[in-house]
Amino acid sequence: MLNPFDLKAALAAKHAQHVVLIHFPIALFISGAAFDFAAHWTKKQSLAAAAYFNFLAAAAASLPTMITGLLAWQWQLEGQRLKGTLLLHLIFGVASGTLTCVVWLIHWSARRAQNEKLRLFCLSMEVLTAVLLAMTGHLGGFLSGVNGPG
Amino acid sequence: MRRSVSVAMFIAVAVLGIAALGAKNSVVAAQQKPQSAEVKIDNFSFGPAALTVSVGSTVTWTNRDDIPHTVVSSDDPKAFKSKVLDTDEKFSFTFTKAGTYAYFCSIHPKMTGKVIVQ
Repeated sequence: MLNPFDLKAALAAKHAQHVVLIHFPIALFISGAAFDFAAHWTKKQSLAAAAYFNFLAAAAASLPTMITGLLAWQWQLEGQRLKGTLLLHLIFGVASGTLTCVVWLIHWSARRAQNEKLRLFCLSMEVLTAVLLAMTGHLGGFLSGVNGPG
Repeated sequence: MRRSVSVAMFIAVAVLGIAALGAKNSVVAAQQKPQSAEVKIDNFSFGPAALTVSVGSTVTWTNRDDIPHTVVSSDDPKAFKSKVLDTDEKFSFTFTKAGTYAYFCSIHPKMTGKVIVQ
């Protein structure tokens, strides 16, 4: 029987951290996007600030998520050439992780410059990133068995 | 007359003995004959999970799942390891030494199996 509080075993499991960490950037980004759309709708600065900090936390959380995903590839699969679902998950994961950081940067710039066009561009980027995150998460769930027959 | 009966009995015993020895050897040879065995990967499990084969046998794993899987031996250094197997892809390994070989899927480490080589 596995001990859920065995920190050493959890950290030593080379593949395990990625599937744990991935939930944080997804949840934070979706929350941030929801706050940002609400801020745009209601014109409330407090909601825009909440969106900013959610995007900041999502960007920060996406870095260890991407690193652990790449390390799982190197450690568990010994860096072998990927194809099919694994390759798609890698491409979408890197793209959505990068876009999460880019959205935070655009949001930060738009708030500083009070640029309405940049804010609208940011909202469209948020939609694109959310779609990519959903596809990456779906593929990851499929690979781990959460979305599949297992 | 008695002598010929004795000779006949001796020949009969000798023939039976040789036949019995030959039969025994053929059974042993049949038991140790290398064979081919197959393990199917389906629904996140190896089937059969435990397989017994003789030395020199080749085991082929076939991925019947919709998900990619691998076949990696648990020992260190690893006796065998496959590349990532997509649906319907196969991996074969010939076991040349007796022993118990535990293995797992490195993408889904809860998927385990073993091959017992006798």
